[in-house]
Amino acid sequence: MSEQEQRRTRRGRAVRWGVPIAAVAVVAGAVGAGPVIAAVQGAPALPERTAEQLLADAVRAGEAGPRPMSGTLMQTSSFGLPGLPQVTGATGSSPTALLAGSHELKVWYGGADKVRLALPGRMSETDLIVGGGQAWLWESDANKATRIKAGSEELAAHGAGHGRGKGTDHGAEHGPGKGTGHGPGAAGALPEGATPQQIAQELLKKADADTAVGVTSNEKVAGRDAYQLTLAPKDAASLVKEIRLALDGETLTPLRVQVYAEGSAEPAFEVGFTTVTFTPPAPENFTFTPPPGAKVEEKSFSELTSGHAARQDEGERMKDGAEVVGTGWTAVAVLPFSLRDLQEGRPEQAAGGEAAGDATAVADALLKSATPVSGTWGSGKVIRTKLVSALLTDDGRLLLGAVTPEKLVEAAGRK
Amino acid sequence: MRRPGAVRAWWRLFASETGLIFRRPRNLAMLAVLAFVPVLLGVALRLFGGPGEGEADGAGAIFTQIAGNGLFLTFAALALLVQLLLPVSVAVVAGDGIAGEAGGGTLRYLLTAPAGRTRLLTVKYAGAVVFSLAAVTLVALSALVVGLVLFPAGPITLLSGTTVPFAEGLLRIGVVVLYATAGMAALAAVSLALSTLTEAAVGAIAATVVLVIATQVVGAVPQLSGLQPYLLTHWWSGFDGVLRDPVATAEMGRGLLVFAAYTVIFGSVAWARFTSRDVTA
Amino acid sequence: MVTVRTDPTPRTDRTGPPQDHAIVIRGLTKRFRGGQVAVDRLDLAVPRGSVFGFLGPNGSGKTTTIRMLLGLVAPTEGSWELLGTPMPGGIGAVLPRVGALVEGPAFYPYLSGEANLRRYDAADPAADPRTAARRIGLALERVGLTAAARKRYRAYSLGMRQRLAIAAALLGPRDLLILDEPTNGLDPQGTREVRALVAEVASGGTTVFVSSHLLTEIEQMCTHVGVMCAGRLVAEGPVAELRAGEEARVRVETPDPAAAAAVLAGLGLTGVRTGAAEAGAVLGGLPPERVTAALVTGGVAVRGLAVHRPSLEDVFVELTGEGFDVDG
Repeated sequence: MSEQEQRRTRRGRAVRWGVPIAAVAVVAGAVGAGPVIAAVQGAPALPERTAEQLLADAVRAGEAGPRPMSGTLMQTSSFGLPGLPQVTGATGSSPTALLAGSHELKVWYGGADKVRLALPGRMSETDLIVGGGQAWLWESDANKATRIKAGSEELAAHGAGHGRGKGTDHGAEHGPGKGTGHGPGAAGALPEGATPQQIAQELLKKADADTAVGVTSNEKVAGRDAYQLTLAPKDAASLVKEIRLALDGETLTPLRVQVYAEGSAEPAFEVGFTTVTFTPPAPENFTFTPPPGAKVEEKSFSELTSGHAARQDEGERMKDGAEVVGTGWTAVAVLPFSLRDLQEGRPEQAAGGEAAGDATAVADALLKSATPVSGTWGSGKVIRTKLVSALLTDDGRLLLGAVTPEKLVEAAGRK
Repeated sequence: MRRPGAVRAWWRLFASETGLIFRRPRNLAMLAVLAFVPVLLGVALRLFGGPGEGEADGAGAIFTQIAGNGLFLTFAALALLVQLLLPVSVAVVAGDGIAGEAGGGTLRYLLTAPAGRTRLLTVKYAGAVVFSLAAVTLVALSALVVGLVLFPAGPITLLSGTTVPFAEGLLRIGVVVLYATAGMAALAAVSLALSTLTEAAVGAIAATVVLVIATQVVGAVPQLSGLQPYLLTHWWSGFDGVLRDPVATAEMGRGLLVFAAYTVIFGSVAWARFTSRDVTA
Repeated sequence: MVTVRTDPTPRTDRTGPPQDHAIVIRGLTKRFRGGQVAVDRLDLAVPRGSVFGFLGPNGSGKTTTIRMLLGLVAPTEGSWELLGTPMPGGIGAVLPRVGALVEGPAFYPYLSGEANLRRYDAADPAADPRTAARRIGLALERVGLTAAARKRYRAYSLGMRQRLAIAAALLGPRDLLILDEPTNGLDPQGTREVRALVAEVASGGTTVFVSSHLLTEIEQMCTHVGVMCAGRLVAEGPVAELRAGEEARVRVETPDPAAAAAVLAGLGLTGVRTGAAEAGAVLGGLPPERVTAALVTGGVAVRGLAVHRPSLEDVFVELTGEGFDVDG
C-alpha cells in the first residue's frame, strides 16, 4: 500500500511535468506545422507542368491582367552585411531599413483603377489609394493627405506595377535581375503578336546558356498550392545559389520570390504574400476622403517622385561612366567612384536628408569591415556580403557584382 | 474532491485574493502612478504642443494626432505604457503571487487551510489577470477623461485616414483595452511561473522585468527580426490594428494566439512546479 | 484534565484499527536535495484523544515531520495517515478538520488580525462563509485578542502574534490540532494560558500534537510523548510509563562508603555504587525506612539519606545522550 502510493506520487510528479512539455510540443507543432506538413505531404496537388508550359500559361494569365485580390506582402532580407548600424524608428520607408529585417505591405487590388496599398508602421500607416478617378497618398504620422494630380490610368498602372513588383524591384537591384525580370513585362521585348508559347520558348532558350531552370508543383505559399520555378546560375563564381519564383497554382499570379545565396539554407532576400485571397476587395478600400484636421496638399505625380527621379538621374550619370565586364549572372559593373565622394557627402544627397545620413552610416560600417586586396592592377578594399561583393580600388573604381571577390579582383585586372 | 461547493469555495478565495491585491498599499500606489501618466502626458501636450513636424516619426507620430482629437490620448497613453510601466506593475503583482506568500510564510497556512495547490494557483493567476484588466482600464479611463477635458472630441480619424464616429471610437478603445489586457495576462503567466521557482518575491519580479527588457532589446535588433513573431513584447503594441481600416484582425488574432501560447506554456510550468514543490518557508 | 490512556504503548499497537489513532506514521523519511536526511524511517502512532508531546532538540526533524504530515513537504519514502485517512491523497478532505501552527506565526502585516483570519478561512473550502464572522470572533476570544482584532498585524507584539496563530488553528471544529512550538515567544503568563487552552481543547475530545524542545512544557501538558533525536524516534509512550521505566535509587551520604555499600548489598539491592563520600543502589520495592534501619544496625555513620525518583529529564538524557535546555 505504502510502496504503491509512493510509486503513484512519483509517477504523478513525472506526469505533472509532462503537461508543460506537452504544451511546448503542441505550440512548437502549431508553429512549425505549416511548412512541415506541406513538405511531408509532398503529393503534388497541382497538375504537372513543364517550365515551358508554366511560363506560357503565366504569360497568358499576365496578358489577361491581374485578378482582383487582396493580401499581405512580406519582405525579409538578411544580406549578411557586416556590422550594420541599428536603424531606429524605421517605418519601412527608409531605404536602409530594407537591408535587414522584415517589412509588411498590404495590398488591395480591385482592377486597374482600384488599388490600395498600405504600409503599416507602429502606430502609423502610409496609404496609397487609387479609386473613383482619384489618387491619394495618406501619411498618418504627418497627418497629411496628398492628392495626386495625374491621369488615373497612368497612376493605376504605376500603382499596380509597384504593388506586385515592389519586391522584384529590389531583387533586381541586388541580384542580377535575370530571373525576377521575367514576367509579363518581358513580353515587350519580343515582336508584337508573339504567342505566349513562343515567348516562353524564347525566354527559356536565352536562359539556358547560363541558367538551370526547374519546376516543382508542390509548393505552399500563403496557404495556396503553387508552382515554383527555380533558376540556378551555372557559373560557380556566382554568389547566387538560386532564385525561386512561386506562382499561384490557380491564377498563376506570382506569389513569392526568394533569392538564395551560396552556402545558406535561408533565403537572403524574400518577398511574398503571407496571406492572399482572390476575391474582389470591399469597395470602401478604394475611396478616400481627407479626414477633418488633416493637411491636404496637391502634387503632380512627377513632383511626388522627384526624389526618386533625381536618384535615377544620378544613376544614369553613373551608368554613363560605367562599364560591364562579363555577362549573365557573373557580370561585374565597374563604376568610377571615390571614397571621398561618399565621406564628404554630396549636395544632392544632403538635400535627401535622413536617407543620405543613413546611407553614409551604412557605408562607414561596411568600410570598417572591408579587407584590403592587391594585384597587378593596384590595390583596394573588398567587402563581401551573402549576395554581393564590392571592390573599391585605390585608383577610384568601384566594382560590383553578385560574384566571389576573386572574380572582382580578376575583373579589376582587365582594365 | 469536487464537491458542489467547490466552485463557490473557489470564488470565495478569489474574492479574498482580489481584496488583498486591491487593499495592498504598494499595488494602490502603482495604480495611482499608472493613472497619473496620461494626465502628465495630456497636460504636457496641451502646454507645449506635440513634437514639431518632421520630428514626428514612428510611435511618436501619434502624439500629433492628440491635438486634433482627445480620444487619441488613450491610444497614445496605452502605446507608451504597454512597453514598460504596465508590464512592470503586472510583474509586481504576479511575481509576488506565490513567492510573496512563500517569503511571508503565509503560503504554509494557506496550504494547510487547505487552499489546495491547483486552486491557489488558479486563484493567483485570476487575481493577476484582474489586476491587469484594472490597470489597463484605469489608464484608458484616465486618458479618456484627460483627453476629453483638454482636447476637442469628435469623430475619430483612424491610422488609415478613415473617419469613424465618436461612439465607434469608444468601442474600439474597449477592444484595445481587452487586447492589451490579454497581452498583460500572458506576461502574468510568465511572472507567476517565475514566482513558483523562488521564495523571494523581489527575485521573481526582477527576473520578469529583466526578461521583458531583454526581449525588447532582441526585438529591436534588425538582424534578429526573424525572432520577432515569437516575442511576447512584439505583440503588445499590436492593438494599433484596431485603428486601421479594415481592422487588422489577422494580425491581432495572431497576437492573441501568441498570448495564448505563452499563457498555456508558462501556466503549465507554474502548475507542474508548484504542485510538486516542497514548501519549506 | 484528561483521562490518561493506559492502553499498551502505541509501538506495539500499530497494527490495531487505525481509527484509534489520529496520526499513524510508517517509515517516513525525508532526504533533502544535497543528501541531508532530516527524518529517518520514522514510525509513530498518536492515539486519539491524547495530548501527544513531540519532543526533541532543535534540528532533530520535528518541524520537517510536521510539514510532511500537513502535505507541505513530500516525503522521500514512507506513508502516513491523518484521522484514519491515507495521505497525501486525503489532504483536501482531512485538513479542514486539522488545525495547525507550523514554525511560528505568519500573517499579512498590512491586514488586521481579524482580516487575517478571514483570509485563512477563505482558503478553507469546507468553511462556511456565513458562519465565518462568528467563528473568527470566537477564535479571537479564545486567545484573548478580541480587543486587538481590528489592529493591524504589524502592530502586534510577539505574544499577540503567537496567539493569533493559535486562533487561526482554532477557526473551525477540529479533530486534530498540530502545534509546532506553541509557546515560543510567550511570557510565563502566556505560556500558562496556552497550556490551559490545550487542556480545554483536549477535554473536548480533540487530539493535540504538540512539538517542543522544552521538556517541562511537555511534562506538564502531555499524556503521551515521542522523543526525536537526529531524525529518529528514540522513545515513545505514555508519560507515566516512561517515567516508571527508570527506578528510584537510594543515596547514602557517609564518611565510610565501603561499609555502607556492604550493608546495601546485604539487603539484596542491585546496582550498588560507591562515591567519594557516598554510596547508592537501586531501591526497587524496598521501603526506604528498612534501609535506614539496616545502616544503623550495621554501625554505618549516616550523614544523610535520600531517595531519588527520576524525572523525565533523566530519562531523556539517558535516551538521547544530551540534555534539554529546561528554560528554553
